[in-house]
Amino acid sequence: MLEIQALSKHFVSGRGHISALTDISFSVEQGKGVILAGRSGSGKTTLLNCIGALEVPDSGAVVYNGVNICTLSPRQRTLFRRCEVGFVFQAGNLLPWLTVAENLQFPLELNDIRGTAQQRRIEELLATFSLAGYEQALPAELSGGESQRIAFARAIAHQPALLLADEPTASLDSSNGRQLMELMFSLCRTQGTILVIATHDQELMAMTDTVMALKDGRMEKKP
Amino acid sequence: MRLTFLCNIAGLMLWRSWRTTAVLSFMVVSAVAALVFLSALAVGTNDAMIRNSTGLFSGHIAGSGIREADAPLPQLPGVKQVLVRRQQQALLSANGRLEPVLLMGVDPAQEQATTAYWKKTVAGAFPTAHEEALFLSQETAKRLQLSVGSRVTLVNPQGAAVKPLTVAGVYKTGITQLDQGLAFCPVGVLPTGPTELSIAVFLQADAPLEAIAAQYRRLLPSAVFTPWTEFMPDLKQLIDLDSICMAIVVTLVFAIVSVGISCAFLIFTLKNLREHGIMKAMGLLSGDTALLLVAQIGMLTVAAAVVGTLVGAATVAVFAQIGIDISAFTSHNQYFSVSGVLYPRLTALALFTPPLAAVVFGLAAAIWPIAAIVRKNPADILRSV
Repeated sequence: MLEIQALSKHFVSGRGHISALTDISFSVEQGKGVILAGRSGSGKTTLLNCIGALEVPDSGAVVYNGVNICTLSPRQRTLFRRCEVGFVFQAGNLLPWLTVAENLQFPLELNDIRGTAQQRRIEELLATFSLAGYEQALPAELSGGESQRIAFARAIAHQPALLLADEPTASLDSSNGRQLMELMFSLCRTQGTILVIATHDQELMAMTDTVMALKDGRMEKKP
Repeated sequence: MRLTFLCNIAGLMLWRSWRTTAVLSFMVVSAVAALVFLSALAVGTNDAMIRNSTGLFSGHIAGSGIREADAPLPQLPGVKQVLVRRQQQALLSANGRLEPVLLMGVDPAQEQATTAYWKKTVAGAFPTAHEEALFLSQETAKRLQLSVGSRVTLVNPQGAAVKPLTVAGVYKTGITQLDQGLAFCPVGVLPTGPTELSIAVFLQADAPLEAIAAQYRRLLPSAVFTPWTEFMPDLKQLIDLDSICMAIVVTLVFAIVSVGISCAFLIFTLKNLREHGIMKAMGLLSGDTALLLVAQIGMLTVAAAVVGTLVGAATVAVFAQIGIDISAFTSHNQYFSVSGVLYPRLTALALFTPPLAAVVFGLAAAIWPIAAIVRKNPADILRSV
């Protein structure tokens, strides 16, 4: 269970004091998905970063399974991300000097999944995302759709409890984007993963019942 | 996270960004190669100065106060040749002039085989074993108004003529101690009378100077054995100075190169900033990130240092065969009075100091890029790139 409680975050920049998030609260159950919708600059990415322990909010709490991750030390937050979170960023988030297999190996190594278990998991992921035979390909040799499929495969490789995706279909055509997201929703339901997607893609919003609309860092509609 | 996996990733980053790696490595390779060569050249220069200075006449160890009963001296391991010389104070008389000299009775064949002062002949030739002749310095010949073939008389301290001799050759070494007050003749020509024995010990390359001198001292406690480092303290100081200068050059070059590496590596690291941000977001700890960068720069500098050492050593090998002739710049230098050709020589210090310095300075250069990446928040990285 993921609970966001009265989350607020502001930044100070050359433009002055910017409220990125103001009093955001909602909760998501295991195996469910939620979409954070809103225009660019509405606070979607900041909210994802707070949920994924990449950033610490100024106030409020992100409670996962009873633990407020905002109170963890930097090292504990890193280990939380390592074990519990899978990230899918916008285009270009594969490590360019690692092959497809090595990119998938990375989160498995971080989580001490090695040897035959590691090999089996990589093969399983490649088969699930229809990328068998691409093991030795470098990211530069893949199409945008293939790269994003690998990014999803890498994000769920270590079977995280939370999958966070920031504009995951931005670089894909609508057909590829829909197929990939259907696969993701299905996998998350099967594995009990909480899926949080930040997007302004209308098609994606139709794929889940829970859409959180953000505007200027404030929530427009409660789930 | 496993160290082997981190090292593997570091290696792949370098290997698959080979153009950047090659450019970064070139700086280290060229610096190490140049310094290996320079270090070997410094050793070669020192060798040449020692070879010239000791090979001219004195040998590496000069022995005096030797008794007749002690000669000939045993040839110890590491000793190439021991020359025994008999010396006698004498007066030379010619053209109504008198000149005091230390007359050295030598074995011409042995002297010619081992020393080089006879090559500094400016007129005539070095006398042969049974020739009743003298080999005079140009200075002495001038004072006595002598030339090759002139007759000169050996006079005893009481002023009585002892022996007439012919001037066989005239030499000039450019070294005051040899060019003034010294004359040579075959040992058999030396007039009867009190003589003193002296020896010149010539060592093989890399033979331990002090140890051999100590061995001779143990063998003949009554004699005095002086290594060249004591009877030529100026040369010893010059060589020490050379070593200090070389150490300063190595340190300065690598301090400058390390700043270059640090700047270049920071650019290389910042070029991959987004990837570092992604890895940190995925759960790579700050320590692992630092280790990854240390592994990267470590691998790069070690590989480049090895290549640089091989390139430097190969260059030394070539020039050790053909030599570097700097005679044009040493004609008035007493330490190069025999030959101005330098032969660079690799020693363990010359071979290993530059690559070791490269690795140490390279790792020090990693501190800046590591600090730049480690303290960055992954969210800030992903937001900014």
